[in-house]
Amino acid sequence: MKFGIAAKLSLLLAGVSILASGLTGFYAYQASRNMLIQSAKAELLTATDTVARDIARTRQEASRNLLVLSSHPAALAVLQNASKASEDQLATLFTRVMIANPGYFQIRLISANDSGLERVRVDREEDRTIRISGDDLQEKGHFAYVSGALQLPAGATYLSRIVINHERGAHAGLEQPSAILATPVMDTHGQAWGVVVINMDLNGVFTSLTAALPKEYQLFLANGSGDYLIHPDSSKAFGFDKGRRVLVQDEFSATRALIDGTVTKVLTEVTEGLYSEAPVVTAFVSVKVKIMGEEDRLILGLSQPLSSVLVQANALGTVVLQLVMALGLACIVLAVLLARAVTRPINSMSAAVQQFAYAQQVATLDIHRQDEIGVLARSFNHMQDQIKQQLGALQTSHLKLEHLARHDVLTGLPNRRFFQEELDHTLARAQRNGERFALLFIDVDCFKSINDGWGHEGGDTVLKVVALRLRAATRKVDTVARMGGDEFVVLLDNPTHRDDIVTIAEKLLHSIRSPIEYRGHTLQVSFSIGISQYPEDGSSVAELMARADDAMYQIKAAGRNGFRFSNEIGRRTTPQQS
Amino acid sequence: MKKAFSVSLQWLRGLVLAAVLPMALGASAQDTLRVLAWPGYADADLVKVFEERTGSKVEVTFIDSDESMWQKLNKHQAEDFDVFAVNTAELQRYINAGLVVPVATQAIPNLAHQLPRFRNLKKIPGLVHDNKVYAIPYTYSEMGLIYDRQQIKIAPTSIRALWDPRYRGKVLLYNGGTHNFSLAAQILGDPTPFHIDKEEWPAAVEQLIDLRRNAMAFYGQPDESVELFKSRHAALMFANYGSQQLQLLKTAGVDVGYAIVKEGALAWMDCWAMTRGAKNTALAQAWINYFLESEPGKALMGRQGLANTTSESPSLRPQDQLKWLEPVEDVDRREQLWGRIVAGDRASKVLAP
Repeated sequence: MKFGIAAKLSLLLAGVSILASGLTGFYAYQASRNMLIQSAKAELLTATDTVARDIARTRQEASRNLLVLSSHPAALAVLQNASKASEDQLATLFTRVMIANPGYFQIRLISANDSGLERVRVDREEDRTIRISGDDLQEKGHFAYVSGALQLPAGATYLSRIVINHERGAHAGLEQPSAILATPVMDTHGQAWGVVVINMDLNGVFTSLTAALPKEYQLFLANGSGDYLIHPDSSKAFGFDKGRRVLVQDEFSATRALIDGTVTKVLTEVTEGLYSEAPVVTAFVSVKVKIMGEEDRLILGLSQPLSSVLVQANALGTVVLQLVMALGLACIVLAVLLARAVTRPINSMSAAVQQFAYAQQVATLDIHRQDEIGVLARSFNHMQDQIKQQLGALQTSHLKLEHLARHDVLTGLPNRRFFQEELDHTLARAQRNGERFALLFIDVDCFKSINDGWGHEGGDTVLKVVALRLRAATRKVDTVARMGGDEFVVLLDNPTHRDDIVTIAEKLLHSIRSPIEYRGHTLQVSFSIGISQYPEDGSSVAELMARADDAMYQIKAAGRNGFRFSNEIGRRTTPQQS
Repeated sequence: MKKAFSVSLQWLRGLVLAAVLPMALGASAQDTLRVLAWPGYADADLVKVFEERTGSKVEVTFIDSDESMWQKLNKHQAEDFDVFAVNTAELQRYINAGLVVPVATQAIPNLAHQLPRFRNLKKIPGLVHDNKVYAIPYTYSEMGLIYDRQQIKIAPTSIRALWDPRYRGKVLLYNGGTHNFSLAAQILGDPTPFHIDKEEWPAAVEQLIDLRRNAMAFYGQPDESVELFKSRHAALMFANYGSQQLQLLKTAGVDVGYAIVKEGALAWMDCWAMTRGAKNTALAQAWINYFLESEPGKALMGRQGLANTTSESPSLRPQDQLKWLEPVEDVDRREQLWGRIVAGDRASKVLAP
């Protein structure tokens, strides 16, 4: 019971507090996880915007290079006068720009005449630049980057469709993803004489642009229709060139809105399709191409595995879990302490009740408390005192009754019943320890004549005096009792010799035979004493009493006033035979 | 024990397959049919119907030239595809190279719906070899000239219009060496444009360089041609896809006319053929059979403007002169030289060894 309430209370308190701390921890984890994902998305978006700006910057740089090259006097000189020196000068210039820009595959000066014949051309071949000349120069008038750029105003840049370059003879750029930028070469009258063209290595440009990005970021680039131009899985890029279009909106359905042009940014968590096993966070932006040409916009995207985002969240989760566990443990300890603090007064009260109930000992309770426990303690204390008093009174009267039941009212000696018990105990002890004892039956001779002569009062006085004398003449260990009427009995505990018994019997006779004063008269009373011995005269109480009684009547029959041993009268028996 | 179990499993699977085969046309869930076709031949919605009906997955790869088809199929001995659409002339290359296998015509019940002239397969050159049918006719078209009626008031009558300096920079051409050399041979007056003689090559190259100098651009796929025609205001186009491009341009709202030239328009007939690498023959046959049904046939005519083989073509007139494609003397040489021409090389470089 004591364990019960404390345990239940502890369990309840601990349960509630663990639940509370667990829930708090869980929600804290959940909230911070979401915040981490949000911040990862924001970071991704920032990174995507940065890459987009870098693309624009790269393009602007190319435009500046184009402007510098196209406005160089040598360009016009080559186109107008076919000046060999100017061609060389321009080739040197092209080479320098190529060296400075590893992302360029080709720089060319193409004539507006001669079906778009290339006039100066520098290609990249492996890691060096080569100047193409003579018959190797090709006619490019049928390509949009020539005809398109020729339509532009001075200084404007034309962007061709970003494709795999299949133009035979393009050296390093052949069969590579390329973006071709071109700008017209104009005279002072605004007549276009030709174009300067830069072929950019799409992959090369993006490799350098994304070098600074975290490793786990994946880059996606698609054209305005959603065809991938760059994809982590290179087999998915330029699908249209291989006859099987691979579209960003098919892989990331959220980008459909980008393709439709309804939004310019898409932030999403992708957990389905290809990414059901390894979810990613992605950011896509639609970048408007601000120059003329065949691409009006590009879709740029970055993705990051959700797992790398959640590495921090998981670390946080671990910390939260540890905190929750520590808090939980603290809560358990606190709950146990609290439960004990609440149940301790109850327990001490119940201990007090038990102590009082079994031992009637009054326990001290904290009666100075001002709470309910204090009231209870005071009430209990009061009740305890009352019970104690009543119990005391009850005990006293009980003891009195007990004494009355076991003692003779007249003489104050143990009565027959009490003596019988004493005798039983003595016999049991003697049997157990091999001890001895003797019974002395004492009868007042001619007690009837005393009663008749002096009245009952005289008889009572005689009995009282005899009782006093018997008590005085025996040892403490011996028992003196009144058996009723004028019969007394003395139980001699452990007499060593028959002679001792004889001595005691004589001493008793001598003591009680002394004259008794009664109302100015002297009464002379004689006694007969019958003696039986254990173990000589029997092994049972009844036998021993009967023998002593017999012996007493023998002596009475023999003339009274003396004592006699039971076995003196020739009826010797062994204790075992009875 | 394990072996016995797997054997009984296989037996069970066989039983299930046998039960399902006639209904599902032999396709089990994980079967993938790899199709190589021209744009417009296998629209996504039609493919979806086929996939749902057979419980298969279809991967369609679109090509834009005979040459790229040849490269794709030749690459791994046709192991990468199951079924493809090829014209009767090109088919011969594949038969000679052993890349195609005969088609069991009894497995294609819809053949019965075809017009009589397509059912008589032996009458169509190139389809039957040693009494084995190698391809099933699907669609056909002449390669006419499409012109902008705003810029060209009188319909061109000759192939020579493509070289007309009046349209310089306004002519859209097809980026395919085989057909372009046939065009060059036609303009040189060669009655056998599919066989260019040795001494004829330099002249043909010169013609094609001239043609290039007249060109605005070279296209591959029909959609691309439409986009270029519309956005860059082309005047004239050699329609490799014929009536398909005409239809697409009209749908795009361009006021175009269509001319069949007097030299005789080159014409092609595309057929479905099965590769030697076909993994699931029954599924490939089901594909061919499906595209002879009325819905795909209607889609071909309605959306693409292409004739089907189950109803008469509305675009072709009886008086139109057609030159059905034939295998050419040397595809590789034509394509090699064309590659140089389209890159912008001049004659000396083009004809260099």
